[in-house]
Amino acid sequence: MAIIEVKNITKTYNEKQVPVHALNGIDLDIGAGEFTAIVGPSGCGKTTLLNIIGGLDKPTEGSITINGSNLDDLTEKQIIDFRLHHIGFVFQAYNLIPVLTALENVIFILQMQGRPHNECIATGKELLESVGLGDKINKRPSELSGGQQQRVAVARALASKPDYVLADEPTANLDSKSTSDLLDMMHQLNESVGTTFVFSTHDQRVVERAKRVVTLVDGKIESDTKQ
Amino acid sequence: MNVWPIIKLSWKNIWRNKVRSGVVIISVLLGTCAGVFMTAFMYGLSMGYVKIQLQNFTSHLQIHTKAFEQEEVPEAYIPDADSLMQELKQKDFVTALSARTVITGLAASSSSSFGVTITGIDPEIEKNVSLIHTHVIDGDYLEGDRRNLVLIGQKLAERLGLKIRSKMVLNFQDVNGNISAGAFRVSGIFKSPNSQFDEANVFIKAEDLNRLIGKPGAVHEIAILVDNFKMADQYKETLSDSPDLIVESWGDLSPSLRYTDATVGTTLYIVMVIILIALTFGIINTMLMAVLERQQELGMLMSVGVNKVRIFTMILFETFFLAIFGAPVGIFLAWVGISVLSETGVDVSAFSQGFEMYGLGTVIYPELQPDYYLNIGFLIILTTLIASLYPSFKALKLNPVEAIRKI
Repeated sequence: MAIIEVKNITKTYNEKQVPVHALNGIDLDIGAGEFTAIVGPSGCGKTTLLNIIGGLDKPTEGSITINGSNLDDLTEKQIIDFRLHHIGFVFQAYNLIPVLTALENVIFILQMQGRPHNECIATGKELLESVGLGDKINKRPSELSGGQQQRVAVARALASKPDYVLADEPTANLDSKSTSDLLDMMHQLNESVGTTFVFSTHDQRVVERAKRVVTLVDGKIESDTKQ
Repeated sequence: MNVWPIIKLSWKNIWRNKVRSGVVIISVLLGTCAGVFMTAFMYGLSMGYVKIQLQNFTSHLQIHTKAFEQEEVPEAYIPDADSLMQELKQKDFVTALSARTVITGLAASSSSSFGVTITGIDPEIEKNVSLIHTHVIDGDYLEGDRRNLVLIGQKLAERLGLKIRSKMVLNFQDVNGNISAGAFRVSGIFKSPNSQFDEANVFIKAEDLNRLIGKPGAVHEIAILVDNFKMADQYKETLSDSPDLIVESWGDLSPSLRYTDATVGTTLYIVMVIILIALTFGIINTMLMAVLERQQELGMLMSVGVNKVRIFTMILFETFFLAIFGAPVGIFLAWVGISVLSETGVDVSAFSQGFEMYGLGTVIYPELQPDYYLNIGFLIILTTLIASLYPSFKALKLNPVEAIRKI
């Protein structure tokens, strides 16, 4: 069963002046436990699609349904709350909070959800262990390598046990070794816990590891292959 | 809503740039300290002016006959003044009183003449009510048993060309309406904080004046000091129920003093608000920089589901922390300074000429009412709230999709 249902989505920027059609009629279903890469050349609409799937942006036309909830029916406040509880985000530039330790970064989302302190700490430590950073829980982002920071970001994204994790170019700033380690780690989480991952990427190494590859060209799905 | 993680994050955020936050905290500290001390100085200055006017000229309360109020004629004396004085002395709140004979007349020397108010006093008793004896700069106060001594102001002495032991003649009406005159010898020259007063007033012994106006024991004015001059209006209601007498507080006698007393508090708050407005802009500038340089991070927080109320709360607390460190220390330092200087005073004698022109003393005793410190605290909290609004709204206006890509 699909947890993300995208139906005939279009997205046009700058409609009143010089319209830019970022997405042109996208239909896409993503099922639970998938490990999907959205690929394509720059400007093909990967990030726009990810933003819409993540409830950060609204389509010009079409609808998006997450676990049976149509995002069009939600108020802005409900969408923010939806993101907090149902979606994990991993960003290209890691975007950790520099004044917090790795553990504090991971549990921040849980604290926002109002979870008990002890539960937050236990979950945070467990997640950092699972991404191989059990010995770095009290390190600040500036004390970690890029790869380690992105692992913390993944742990943060997983903290709230989201329905799916969206990762926008997660390996773009990483070297080969870090990329490989990160992909191994995410792959393992996908296999063992069944976490659903959706990536946007240019990186062929990511594409090779994806179970499903959706290729966008000029805002349209050119191909959708499972490997 | 669990705000503790947000407050904790706010606390850590203000220490990202220690120098910048330190500068703001010190600015708030110095601004608050200077503002509070300045207002205390101004309050001390104003209250000093009021007290000088009361101690030298007006006293706290005065009793006259209604006829005297309408026209200051010698026959408008207070009937049975001795009994009234005895009654007044029984009042708990009365700390000192002095009976005065007051008439208007003409002071003349061999070279000139000038219209003056002639006040007959008991020199020793008057010392309890006014400070005129402390302002004698040449010669003596009305000391000894010699008759027809006169104490004149420096300005009048200059106008009439008089010196110590010079002779002068005072002309006035007696109680029967006849012209009377007396030759007096200058025993002392005074210089009060008010040069206009010095020019228009002379003091002689009441027994001399009463003899010359033909009414021994006449009293036109009873000057009273009470334990708290601010209570004078309440006390005056209890002093006399005689329909022929009128009791006036210092505020009645000198509306300008009442106005000064009433408006000084408002003026002080205006000064403090101006200082706080200046600080507000400093805080806004710092917080705005802090928001604009963390757009990507704020975008991330919004993306992952941190709602606007929490973002607003975070910025609010960051602003609050910046203000709340400097302000109490600034207020405390000001309080210490004020406490010390309220005892020792601030000597401004280097500017005495200018100060005296306005009837001010040359030592200022800064003081501030306790509730003012509390109100300053509320004002700072209010200022912080106002200062946080613009940066907070700026943060809330960020589009997470765009902000996350800002470098």
